[in-house]
Amino acid sequence: MKVWLGLGAVLVLALVVAACAGHDWASPADLVRAIAGDQALRSRLLFEWRLPRVVAAAFVGALLGLGGTIYQGVFRNPLAEPYLLGSAGGAALGATVALLVPLALPQAWLLPVLAFAGAWGATVLVIGISRVAGAVDAAGLLLAGVAVAAILGALRSFMMLALSDETVSLQVVLSWVLGGVQTPTWNGIGWILLITAGCIGLSLTLARRLDVLGLGETMATAFGLEVRRFVMLAVLAGSVIVAAAVAYGGLVAFVGLASPHVARWLVGPLHRPLLPASALVGAIVVVLADAIARSALPPAEIPLGLVTAVAGGPFFILLLARRLRT
Amino acid sequence: MRRQRATPLARFPLALALVFALPAAAEPITVHDAFDRAVTLPAPPQRIVPIFASNTEIIASLGLADRIVGIEAYTRYPREVLDRPLVGGRLGFSVDAVVGLRPDLVVVTPSRQAANQLIDPMERIGVPILVLLQRSVPEILANIRLMGLVGGVPDRGEQVVARFEARLAAVKRRVEGRPSPSTIMITARLGNGLMLVAREGTYTGDAMVLAGARFALPGSRLAQVSPEAILNADPDVLLWAGNDRDLKELIARPGWAEMRAVQTGRAHAVSRVELLIPGPRTIDGIEHLAALFHPDRPR
Repeated sequence: MKVWLGLGAVLVLALVVAACAGHDWASPADLVRAIAGDQALRSRLLFEWRLPRVVAAAFVGALLGLGGTIYQGVFRNPLAEPYLLGSAGGAALGATVALLVPLALPQAWLLPVLAFAGAWGATVLVIGISRVAGAVDAAGLLLAGVAVAAILGALRSFMMLALSDETVSLQVVLSWVLGGVQTPTWNGIGWILLITAGCIGLSLTLARRLDVLGLGETMATAFGLEVRRFVMLAVLAGSVIVAAAVAYGGLVAFVGLASPHVARWLVGPLHRPLLPASALVGAIVVVLADAIARSALPPAEIPLGLVTAVAGGPFFILLLARRLRT
Repeated sequence: MRRQRATPLARFPLALALVFALPAAAEPITVHDAFDRAVTLPAPPQRIVPIFASNTEIIASLGLADRIVGIEAYTRYPREVLDRPLVGGRLGFSVDAVVGLRPDLVVVTPSRQAANQLIDPMERIGVPILVLLQRSVPEILANIRLMGLVGGVPDRGEQVVARFEARLAAVKRRVEGRPSPSTIMITARLGNGLMLVAREGTYTGDAMVLAGARFALPGSRLAQVSPEAILNADPDVLLWAGNDRDLKELIARPGWAEMRAVQTGRAHAVSRVELLIPGPRTIDGIEHLAALFHPDRPR
């Protein structure tokens, strides 16, 4: 219980700090004024722009934390991360289409939808390939994932070269790929809240079977788990969650990898507590990283994925070193 | 989400007072911008944040430089605005920084993410944002006129445009009926050896045509061409948008010395700021180009 209260308190603190952070820092009193409906320009900036973004960052982080936990559980590999099975490449391709191909639909709507479709479609494609190839195990999935990611990456690069011009520059695509939380309207926040709640519910239905799978395939089968079917199911569920994260946050490196590990230190390896804890940790990390991205180099904004990678890279190396040593 | 600030009725006495004090100033004005958005300004803006040098120069050409309260990092002219706070640069544009300046108008061109990053937040926060596109010389003039209207100085806008139009007419008289030299303007060299050239249908290409040249590489869809294509086209005039030293280095490369333009002394360095920023200085650029294309006629 202490851990949960602690995590919750840290999240609230992170949200407040992040809402204050920016090109020019606001005070908590400014925030209160803005939420109370003050109409000064600065209050409107805080209420209409900064607060929705901070809240959206929390949801993106939570989704990445969930996705990472499911993938690490399914592949029983601490280095598994949510973009493993082609979702990053697919999402980036979808976003590139939305950003560069002139389609008669509003981009604010098209971008998340195509990113979602790309991320989810790529993972479904990877699963399909591994089934057709008869390699329905973790290794088969991973190899199919690598191949699909390479193809999608090449398609995206080609589109960037062929379709960019002066007004729709390559930088737009590049900055999307490097990650950055969209700023939804408050109505949009309502939707993300519903989606995130749904994803948490979905992942909790997998919790017990992920624990059983963690005992090893033989053991899990002995416990009555249809391993192959469950792996597919869990990967599909994970890919929906990751696709939702990608739609709102672009590609944010390392959060999905690191959050489950931090959560495991805090609440142990059982998935029922691990999944929500990992979501909380992910939310805290992305909210803080987004605050750094917005305020470190004013007036510029560093792409979020770069901030998380610079912080996450050393973490990954540490993890690898520990794993190699044991 | 957007809440009304004050009912029109509540503002009425103030508006009335302003009408008497400044007859033209208190009229709300609505214009349509390059994205066909209706932009309404309650009064002529006094705190303007122009994104990009071109928009800054257009506003300054109307004598409104003192209303500019912020610029982006690649604005270098006019000198008097260079001390203004920066709202963005290579890594994009900061909504925080723009709003922190309490602007009553943001002027933006869809390039380098600026429109993507700024239109949505400014609309939500309630800062008027005007999108200008300068893809040709007539569009530059139209935007000067539009900014004059928006800035509450429509007469000045008309005067400035009339002056530019007179100068363009003078250039036209100068080059009319004369054979136009085939020309290539190289605007940049890329790392992979390819070169960027000014194309038809851009304001730079427009400036070349208005100054009495024709394209040695007509109909080029892509701005990137290989040096071979340039050698092969063997233009009458070769222009390099940059300084003399880089031009010398360029034409010292194997094969380039044999080009007609180099042999006849018609390889010239031309001003980047005049020809690669779609602002009022493009008119200077056109006059300078005309002098290069048709050197035997006095101005």
